[in-house]
Amino acid sequence: MALGADRYASRADTLVFIGCVLLSIAAMGLPDRMRDPFARALRQTVLAPLLALQQQTERLSASLERYDAVVAERDSAALAATFLAELRSENQRLRGLLGLGPRLGSGYVPAEVLHQAEPTNALTFLVAAGRKQGVKPLSAVVSPEGLVGIVSSVDAQTSVVVSWAHPEFRASVMAADGSVYGIVAPHGSEGPRAWLLELQGVAYSQLVPEGTLILTSGLGGVLPRGIPIGTVVAVAGEAAGWERTYLVRPAVHPAAVTHVMILTGPPLRSDLRSLFESGSPAP
Amino acid sequence: MRRSDRYRFYIILVGLVVLQFAVTVRLWGRPVGPDFLLLALLMYSIRAQPGRGAGAGFLIGLLRDALTPASFGAGALAHTLVGYLSAWGKAVFFAENVWVNGYLFFAGTWLRNLVVAVASGKLKGTMLGWELLVWSPLQSATTAVAGVLVLWLFGRHLAIRLGEA
Repeated sequence: MALGADRYASRADTLVFIGCVLLSIAAMGLPDRMRDPFARALRQTVLAPLLALQQQTERLSASLERYDAVVAERDSAALAATFLAELRSENQRLRGLLGLGPRLGSGYVPAEVLHQAEPTNALTFLVAAGRKQGVKPLSAVVSPEGLVGIVSSVDAQTSVVVSWAHPEFRASVMAADGSVYGIVAPHGSEGPRAWLLELQGVAYSQLVPEGTLILTSGLGGVLPRGIPIGTVVAVAGEAAGWERTYLVRPAVHPAAVTHVMILTGPPLRSDLRSLFESGSPAP
Repeated sequence: MRRSDRYRFYIILVGLVVLQFAVTVRLWGRPVGPDFLLLALLMYSIRAQPGRGAGAGFLIGLLRDALTPASFGAGALAHTLVGYLSAWGKAVFFAENVWVNGYLFFAGTWLRNLVVAVASGKLKGTMLGWELLVWSPLQSATTAVAGVLVLWLFGRHLAIRLGEA
Protein backbone atom coordinates (compact mmCIF):
# COMPACT_ATOMS: atom_id res chain seq x y z
CA MET A 1 0.00 0.00 0.00
CA ALA A 2 1.45 3.35 -0.99
CA LEU A 3 1.46 5.91 1.73
CA GLY A 4 0.37 9.48 1.20
CA ALA A 5 3.20 11.89 0.66
CA ASP A 6 1.26 14.73 2.18
CA ARG A 7 1.27 12.99 5.54
CA TYR A 8 5.06 12.65 5.53
CA ALA A 9 6.75 15.60 3.88
CA SER A 10 6.04 18.44 6.26
CA ARG A 11 7.81 21.78 6.35
CA ALA A 12 9.67 20.70 9.48
CA ASP A 13 11.05 17.68 7.60
CA THR A 14 12.32 19.90 4.84
CA LEU A 15 13.94 22.28 7.33
CA VAL A 16 15.66 19.40 9.14
CA PHE A 17 16.90 18.06 5.82
CA ILE A 18 18.27 21.43 4.72
CA GLY A 19 19.86 21.91 8.13
CA CYS A 20 21.60 18.53 7.94
CA VAL A 21 22.84 19.23 4.41
CA LEU A 22 24.25 22.61 5.48
CA LEU A 23 25.94 21.05 8.51
CA SER A 24 27.44 18.35 6.28
CA ILE A 25 28.82 20.95 3.89
CA ALA A 26 30.22 22.86 6.86
CA ALA A 27 31.87 19.65 8.10
CA MET A 28 33.51 19.17 4.69
CA GLY A 29 35.01 22.63 4.95
CA LEU A 30 36.39 22.19 8.46
CA PRO A 31 40.15 22.68 8.72
CA ASP A 32 42.19 19.71 9.97
CA ARG A 33 42.89 21.31 13.34
CA MET A 34 39.15 21.43 14.09
CA ARG A 35 38.17 18.23 12.29
CA ASP A 36 40.71 15.88 13.89
CA PRO A 37 39.83 16.58 17.57
CA PHE A 38 36.15 16.21 16.76
CA ALA A 39 36.65 12.92 14.93
CA ARG A 40 38.97 11.71 17.71
CA ALA A 41 36.32 12.49 20.34
CA LEU A 42 33.76 10.44 18.43
CA ARG A 43 36.17 7.51 18.07
CA GLN A 44 37.02 7.56 21.77
CA THR A 45 33.41 7.75 22.98
CA VAL A 46 30.50 6.58 20.86
CA LEU A 47 32.55 4.44 18.50
CA ALA A 48 35.00 3.00 21.03
CA PRO A 49 33.00 -0.16 21.89
CA LEU A 50 32.23 -0.80 18.23
CA LEU A 51 35.87 -0.42 17.24
CA ALA A 52 36.86 -2.75 20.07
CA LEU A 53 34.36 -5.27 18.71
CA GLN A 54 35.82 -4.93 15.22
CA GLN A 55 39.33 -5.38 16.60
CA GLN A 56 38.30 -8.58 18.39
CA THR A 57 36.63 -9.86 15.24
CA GLU A 58 39.75 -9.23 13.18
CA ARG A 59 41.83 -11.03 15.80
CA LEU A 60 39.45 -13.97 15.80
CA SER A 61 39.57 -14.13 12.02
CA ALA A 62 43.37 -14.03 12.06
CA SER A 63 43.45 -16.72 14.75
CA LEU A 64 41.29 -19.01 12.64
CA GLU A 65 43.55 -18.48 9.65
CA ARG A 66 46.60 -19.17 11.77
CA TYR A 67 44.93 -22.29 13.17
CA ASP A 68 44.44 -23.63 9.65
CA ALA A 69 48.06 -22.84 8.85
CA VAL A 70 49.26 -24.55 12.02
CA VAL A 71 47.18 -27.63 11.26
CA ALA A 72 48.58 -27.72 7.73
CA GLU A 73 52.13 -27.35 9.05
CA ARG A 74 51.52 -30.09 11.62
CA ASP A 75 50.25 -32.43 8.92
CA SER A 76 53.24 -31.57 6.75
CA ALA A 77 55.57 -32.15 9.69
CA ALA A 78 53.97 -35.51 10.43
CA LEU A 79 54.48 -36.53 6.84
CA ALA A 80 58.02 -35.23 6.78
CA ALA A 81 58.88 -36.92 10.09
CA THR A 82 59.53 -40.10 8.19
CA PHE A 83 62.45 -38.31 6.52
CA LEU A 84 64.49 -36.52 9.20
CA ALA A 85 66.72 -34.65 6.79
CA GLU A 86 63.72 -33.28 4.98
CA LEU A 87 62.18 -32.33 8.34
CA ARG A 88 65.27 -30.35 9.30
CA SER A 89 65.19 -28.59 5.98
CA GLU A 90 61.51 -27.83 6.41
CA ASN A 91 62.09 -26.45 9.92
CA GLN A 92 64.86 -24.23 8.64
CA ARG A 93 62.61 -22.88 5.92
CA LEU A 94 59.77 -22.26 8.36
CA ARG A 95 62.11 -20.39 10.69
CA GLY A 96 63.09 -18.24 7.77
CA LEU A 97 59.43 -17.44 7.15
CA LEU A 98 58.68 -16.48 10.74
CA GLY A 99 57.89 -13.00 9.59
CA LEU A 100 58.93 -9.44 9.72
CA GLY A 101 58.33 -8.94 13.44
CA PRO A 102 61.25 -10.95 14.82
CA ARG A 103 63.55 -9.40 12.22
CA LEU A 104 62.57 -5.93 13.35
CA GLY A 105 63.48 -6.97 16.89
CA SER A 106 61.89 -4.05 18.73
CA GLY A 107 60.44 -0.64 18.10
CA TYR A 108 57.29 -1.76 16.33
CA VAL A 109 53.63 -2.25 17.20
CA PRO A 110 51.48 -4.82 15.38
CA ALA A 111 47.95 -3.66 14.61
CA GLU A 112 44.81 -4.87 12.91
CA VAL A 113 43.45 -2.72 10.07
CA LEU A 114 39.86 -1.67 10.78
CA HIS A 115 38.55 -1.35 7.24
CA GLN A 116 35.33 0.57 6.64
CA ALA A 117 32.81 0.05 3.85
CA GLU A 118 33.28 3.41 2.14
CA PRO A 119 34.91 4.26 -1.19
CA THR A 120 37.70 6.31 0.41
CA ASN A 121 38.70 3.51 2.79
CA ALA A 122 41.91 2.79 0.87
CA LEU A 123 43.09 6.40 1.25
CA THR A 124 42.83 6.70 5.02
CA PHE A 125 41.98 3.92 7.42
CA LEU A 126 42.01 3.13 11.11
CA VAL A 127 44.38 0.69 12.80
CA ALA A 128 43.81 -0.85 16.21
CA ALA A 129 46.80 0.62 18.00
CA GLY A 130 47.15 4.06 19.46
CA ARG A 131 48.90 6.21 22.00
CA LYS A 132 48.70 3.54 24.71
CA GLN A 133 50.64 1.16 22.46
CA GLY A 134 53.28 3.82 21.80
CA VAL A 135 52.17 4.95 18.36
CA LYS A 136 53.13 8.51 17.40
CA PRO A 137 52.09 10.73 14.50
CA LEU A 138 54.23 10.32 11.36
CA SER A 139 55.23 6.76 12.28
CA ALA A 140 55.81 4.52 9.27
CA VAL A 141 53.20 1.81 8.71
CA VAL A 142 54.54 -1.29 6.98
CA SER A 143 53.56 -4.81 6.01
CA PRO A 144 56.02 -7.61 5.24
CA GLU A 145 55.91 -6.50 1.57
CA GLY A 146 56.73 -2.84 2.16
CA LEU A 147 55.40 0.60 3.05
CA VAL A 148 51.63 0.97 3.51
CA GLY A 149 51.50 4.57 4.71
CA ILE A 150 52.12 7.00 7.54
CA VAL A 151 50.27 7.57 10.81
CA SER A 152 48.31 10.78 10.50
CA SER A 153 46.74 11.17 13.93
CA VAL A 154 46.73 9.10 17.10
CA ASP A 155 43.97 8.34 19.59
CA ALA A 156 44.22 6.36 22.79
CA GLN A 157 43.49 2.98 21.21
CA THR A 158 43.40 3.66 17.48
CA SER A 159 45.32 5.62 14.87
CA VAL A 160 44.48 7.10 11.49
CA VAL A 161 46.80 6.00 8.69
CA VAL A 162 47.23 7.94 5.46
CA SER A 163 48.10 5.34 2.83
CA TRP A 164 50.39 5.89 -0.16
CA ALA A 165 47.25 6.15 -2.33
CA HIS A 166 46.16 9.39 -0.66
CA PRO A 167 46.58 12.34 -3.05
CA GLU A 168 48.69 14.21 -0.47
CA PHE A 169 51.11 11.35 0.22
CA ARG A 170 54.78 12.01 -0.60
CA ALA A 171 57.95 10.11 0.33
CA SER A 172 61.61 10.61 -0.35
CA VAL A 173 62.93 7.50 -2.10
CA MET A 174 65.94 6.02 -3.87
CA ALA A 175 66.74 3.18 -6.18
CA ALA A 176 67.89 0.05 -4.39
CA ASP A 177 71.50 0.62 -5.50
CA GLY A 178 71.41 4.24 -4.29
CA SER A 179 72.12 5.62 -7.75
CA VAL A 180 68.93 7.63 -8.10
CA TYR A 181 66.97 9.71 -5.61
CA GLY A 182 63.52 11.23 -6.01
CA ILE A 183 60.06 11.70 -4.59
CA VAL A 184 57.19 9.25 -4.95
CA ALA A 185 53.58 10.34 -5.07
CA PRO A 186 50.35 8.68 -6.18
CA HIS A 187 50.19 8.60 -9.97
CA GLY A 188 46.64 9.90 -9.89
CA SER A 189 43.26 8.52 -10.66
CA GLU A 190 43.09 9.07 -14.41
CA GLY A 191 43.53 6.36 -17.02
CA PRO A 192 44.32 2.68 -16.68
CA ARG A 193 47.31 3.35 -14.43
CA ALA A 194 45.38 4.33 -11.34
CA TRP A 195 46.65 2.77 -8.13
CA LEU A 196 50.25 3.19 -9.26
CA LEU A 197 52.86 5.48 -7.79
CA GLU A 198 55.13 7.77 -9.72
CA LEU A 199 58.78 8.53 -9.08
CA GLN A 200 59.32 12.23 -9.67
CA GLY A 201 62.31 14.50 -9.82
CA VAL A 202 64.77 12.13 -11.50
CA ALA A 203 67.31 13.89 -13.68
CA TYR A 204 66.92 13.23 -17.41
CA SER A 205 70.40 11.78 -17.65
CA GLN A 206 69.72 9.16 -14.96
CA LEU A 207 67.94 6.16 -16.42
CA VAL A 208 66.06 3.87 -14.06
CA PRO A 209 65.65 0.41 -15.61
CA GLU A 210 62.36 -1.42 -15.47
CA GLY A 211 62.23 -3.72 -12.45
CA THR A 212 64.35 -1.47 -10.24
CA LEU A 213 63.32 -1.75 -6.61
CA ILE A 214 62.45 1.61 -5.04
CA LEU A 215 63.11 2.09 -1.33
CA THR A 216 62.61 4.92 1.12
CA SER A 217 65.76 7.04 1.30
CA GLY A 218 65.50 8.20 4.91
CA LEU A 219 65.96 11.81 3.81
CA GLY A 220 63.72 14.19 5.69
CA GLY A 221 63.77 12.08 8.82
CA VAL A 222 60.14 10.90 8.66
CA LEU A 223 60.49 7.45 7.10
CA PRO A 224 63.42 5.15 7.94
CA ARG A 225 65.76 4.25 5.10
CA GLY A 226 65.28 1.02 3.19
CA ILE A 227 61.54 0.28 3.31
CA PRO A 228 60.37 -1.09 -0.06
CA ILE A 229 57.90 1.16 -1.87
CA GLY A 230 57.53 -0.68 -5.15
CA THR A 231 59.10 -1.56 -8.48
CA VAL A 232 59.63 0.62 -11.54
CA VAL A 233 57.42 -0.57 -14.40
CA ALA A 234 57.69 2.15 -17.07
CA VAL A 235 58.52 5.74 -17.90
CA ALA A 236 55.51 7.94 -17.15
CA GLY A 237 56.74 11.08 -18.83
CA GLU A 238 59.59 13.44 -19.65
CA ALA A 239 59.83 17.14 -18.98
CA ALA A 240 61.59 18.97 -21.79
CA GLY A 241 64.81 17.02 -21.60
CA TRP A 242 65.66 17.75 -17.98
CA GLU A 243 63.52 15.38 -15.91
CA ARG A 244 61.92 11.96 -16.18
CA THR A 245 59.01 10.55 -14.22
CA TYR A 246 58.68 6.81 -13.72
CA LEU A 247 55.69 4.63 -12.89
CA VAL A 248 56.14 2.46 -9.82
CA ARG A 249 54.08 -0.61 -9.02
CA PRO A 250 53.46 -0.44 -5.25
CA ALA A 251 54.71 -3.28 -3.08
CA VAL A 252 51.43 -3.50 -1.22
CA HIS A 253 47.84 -2.42 -1.83
CA PRO A 254 46.35 -0.66 1.20
CA ALA A 255 42.87 -2.13 0.69
CA ALA A 256 44.28 -5.65 0.82
CA VAL A 257 46.20 -5.49 4.09
CA THR A 258 44.55 -6.80 7.22
CA HIS A 259 47.48 -6.46 9.62
CA VAL A 260 50.31 -3.94 9.70
CA MET A 261 53.30 -3.03 11.79
CA ILE A 262 53.82 0.52 12.98
CA LEU A 263 57.44 1.50 13.48
CA THR A 264 57.47 3.35 16.79
CA GLY A 265 61.09 3.67 17.83
CA PRO A 266 64.45 4.36 16.27
CA PRO A 267 65.34 1.42 14.01
CA LEU A 268 68.01 -1.04 15.15
CA ARG A 269 69.65 -0.70 11.75
CA SER A 270 70.29 2.41 9.72
CA ASP A 271 68.99 0.65 6.61
CA LEU A 272 65.94 -1.61 6.92
CA ARG A 273 66.03 -3.17 3.46
CA SER A 274 67.39 -6.52 4.62
CA LEU A 275 64.45 -6.91 7.03
CA PHE A 276 62.01 -6.97 4.15
CA GLU A 277 63.86 -9.64 2.20
CA SER A 278 62.00 -12.89 2.84
CA GLY A 279 64.02 -15.43 4.73
CA SER A 280 66.49 -12.99 6.21
CA PRO A 281 67.49 -13.98 9.73
CA ALA A 282 66.42 -12.18 12.89
CA PRO A 283 69.09 -9.89 14.36
CA MET B 1 1.44 -0.29 17.24
CA ARG B 2 2.39 -2.10 20.42
CA ARG B 3 5.34 -0.90 22.47
CA SER B 4 6.97 -4.36 22.21
CA ASP B 5 6.95 -4.07 18.39
CA ARG B 6 8.94 -0.86 18.64
CA TYR B 7 11.44 -2.47 21.00
CA ARG B 8 11.93 -5.42 18.66
CA PHE B 9 12.42 -3.03 15.77
CA TYR B 10 15.18 -1.13 17.58
CA ILE B 11 16.79 -4.38 18.76
CA ILE B 12 17.04 -5.48 15.13
CA LEU B 13 18.60 -2.14 14.22
CA VAL B 14 21.15 -2.49 17.02
CA GLY B 15 21.87 -6.02 15.80
CA LEU B 16 22.61 -4.63 12.35
CA VAL B 17 24.96 -2.02 13.82
CA VAL B 18 26.84 -4.75 15.70
CA LEU B 19 27.03 -6.87 12.54
CA GLN B 20 28.63 -3.94 10.71
CA PHE B 21 31.66 -4.12 12.99
CA ALA B 22 31.68 -7.90 13.46
CA VAL B 23 31.44 -9.13 9.87
CA THR B 24 33.89 -8.40 7.09
CA VAL B 25 33.44 -9.94 3.66
CA ARG B 26 36.29 -9.50 1.21
CA LEU B 27 36.60 -10.07 -2.50
CA TRP B 28 40.04 -9.69 -4.09
CA GLY B 29 41.11 -7.95 -0.92
CA ARG B 30 38.32 -5.38 -1.04
CA PRO B 31 35.62 -5.17 1.61
CA VAL B 32 32.45 -5.65 -0.45
CA GLY B 33 30.24 -7.23 2.17
CA PRO B 34 26.86 -5.87 3.19
CA ASP B 35 26.85 -2.40 4.69
CA PHE B 36 24.76 -3.24 7.74
CA LEU B 37 24.97 0.29 9.11
CA LEU B 38 23.46 1.74 5.95
CA LEU B 39 20.92 -1.07 5.99
CA ALA B 40 19.89 -0.05 9.50
CA LEU B 41 19.53 3.55 8.34
CA LEU B 42 17.42 2.54 5.33
CA MET B 43 15.20 0.29 7.42
CA TYR B 44 14.70 3.11 9.89
CA SER B 45 14.19 5.90 7.38
CA ILE B 46 11.65 4.08 5.18
CA ARG B 47 9.52 3.72 8.29
CA ALA B 48 10.04 7.24 9.59
CA GLN B 49 9.27 10.75 8.45
CA PRO B 50 11.77 12.32 6.02
CA GLY B 51 13.09 14.75 8.61
CA ARG B 52 13.92 11.96 11.02
CA GLY B 53 15.44 9.96 8.18
CA ALA B 54 17.65 12.90 7.27
CA GLY B 55 18.64 13.47 10.90
CA ALA B 56 19.48 9.81 11.45
CA GLY B 57 21.44 9.78 8.21
CA PHE B 58 23.40 12.85 9.25
CA LEU B 59 24.35 11.31 12.61
CA ILE B 60 25.35 7.97 11.09
CA GLY B 61 27.31 9.71 8.34
CA LEU B 62 29.14 11.87 10.86
CA LEU B 63 30.13 8.80 12.89
CA ARG B 64 31.39 7.08 9.74
CA ASP B 65 33.33 10.18 8.78
CA ALA B 66 35.20 9.86 12.07
CA LEU B 67 36.36 6.44 10.85
CA THR B 68 37.35 7.52 7.34
CA PRO B 69 38.69 11.07 7.65
CA ALA B 70 39.58 11.21 3.94
CA SER B 71 35.94 11.97 3.25
CA PHE B 72 35.00 13.92 6.37
CA GLY B 73 31.63 15.57 5.85
CA ALA B 74 30.97 13.71 2.61
CA GLY B 75 29.64 10.72 4.52
CA ALA B 76 27.31 12.93 6.53
CA LEU B 77 26.02 14.55 3.34
CA ALA B 78 25.58 11.21 1.59
CA HIS B 79 23.77 9.55 4.46
CA THR B 80 21.56 12.62 4.95
CA LEU B 81 20.51 12.47 1.31
CA VAL B 82 19.93 8.71 1.43
CA GLY B 83 17.98 8.93 4.68
CA TYR B 84 15.77 11.75 3.43
CA LEU B 85 15.21 10.36 -0.06
CA SER B 86 14.43 6.86 1.13
CA ALA B 87 11.85 8.18 3.63
CA TRP B 88 10.36 10.48 1.02
CA GLY B 89 10.53 7.89 -1.75
CA LYS B 90 8.94 5.25 0.43
CA ALA B 91 6.06 7.61 1.16
CA VAL B 92 5.50 8.42 -2.49
CA PHE B 93 6.48 5.39 -4.53
CA PHE B 94 7.24 2.22 -2.68
CA ALA B 95 4.79 -0.51 -1.83
CA GLU B 96 5.13 -2.94 1.05
CA ASN B 97 7.02 -5.48 -1.02
CA VAL B 98 10.20 -7.18 0.02
CA TRP B 99 11.70 -7.08 -3.48
CA VAL B 100 10.94 -3.40 -3.92
CA ASN B 101 12.70 -2.87 -0.61
CA GLY B 102 15.62 -4.88 -2.01
CA TYR B 103 15.88 -2.49 -4.94
CA LEU B 104 15.74 0.41 -2.49
CA PHE B 105 18.64 -1.06 -0.50
CA PHE B 106 20.65 -1.49 -3.70
CA ALA B 107 19.93 2.04 -4.93
CA GLY B 108 20.54 3.56 -1.50
CA THR B 109 23.95 1.94 -1.14
CA TRP B 110 25.02 2.91 -4.63
CA LEU B 111 23.79 6.48 -4.20
CA ARG B 112 25.64 6.74 -0.87
CA ASN B 113 28.88 5.60 -2.51
CA LEU B 114 28.34 7.97 -5.44
CA VAL B 115 27.87 10.99 -3.18
CA VAL B 116 30.80 10.06 -0.92
CA ALA B 117 33.09 9.48 -3.89
CA VAL B 118 32.13 12.71 -5.64
CA ALA B 119 31.77 14.97 -2.60
CA SER B 120 35.07 13.88 -1.06
CA GLY B 121 36.84 14.88 -4.29
CA LYS B 122 39.49 12.21 -3.71
CA LEU B 123 38.36 9.73 -6.36
CA LYS B 124 38.43 10.74 -10.00
CA GLY B 125 38.66 9.26 -13.46
CA THR B 126 39.38 5.55 -13.57
CA MET B 127 39.32 5.14 -9.81
CA LEU B 128 35.89 6.72 -9.68
CA GLY B 129 34.72 4.53 -12.56
CA TRP B 130 35.91 1.33 -10.90
CA GLU B 131 34.36 2.40 -7.65
CA LEU B 132 30.96 3.21 -9.11
CA LEU B 133 30.73 0.52 -11.78
CA VAL B 134 32.43 -2.43 -10.08
CA TRP B 135 32.90 -2.19 -6.34
CA SER B 136 29.81 -0.18 -5.46
CA PRO B 137 27.40 -2.44 -7.39
CA LEU B 138 28.96 -5.46 -5.69
CA GLN B 139 28.56 -3.88 -2.27
CA SER B 140 25.05 -2.69 -3.17
CA ALA B 141 24.08 -6.20 -4.25
CA THR B 142 25.36 -7.83 -1.07
CA THR B 143 23.63 -5.15 0.99
CA ALA B 144 20.37 -5.69 -0.88
CA VAL B 145 20.58 -9.47 -0.41
CA ALA B 146 21.29 -9.03 3.30
CA GLY B 147 18.39 -6.58 3.58
CA VAL B 148 15.97 -8.95 1.87
CA LEU B 149 17.12 -11.74 4.19
CA VAL B 150 16.55 -9.54 7.23
CA LEU B 151 13.09 -8.62 5.99
CA TRP B 152 12.35 -12.26 5.27
CA LEU B 153 13.47 -13.34 8.73
CA PHE B 154 12.14 -10.44 10.79
CA GLY B 155 9.59 -8.83 8.49
CA ARG B 156 6.82 -9.14 11.05
CA HIS B 157 8.78 -7.11 13.59
CA LEU B 158 9.82 -4.53 11.02
CA ALA B 159 6.31 -3.85 9.69
CA ILE B 160 5.75 -0.73 11.77
CA ARG B 161 5.28 3.00 11.14
CA LEU B 162 7.49 5.08 13.39
CA GLY B 163 5.62 8.25 12.49
CA GLU B 164 2.36 6.91 13.90
CA ALA B 165 3.62 6.64 17.44
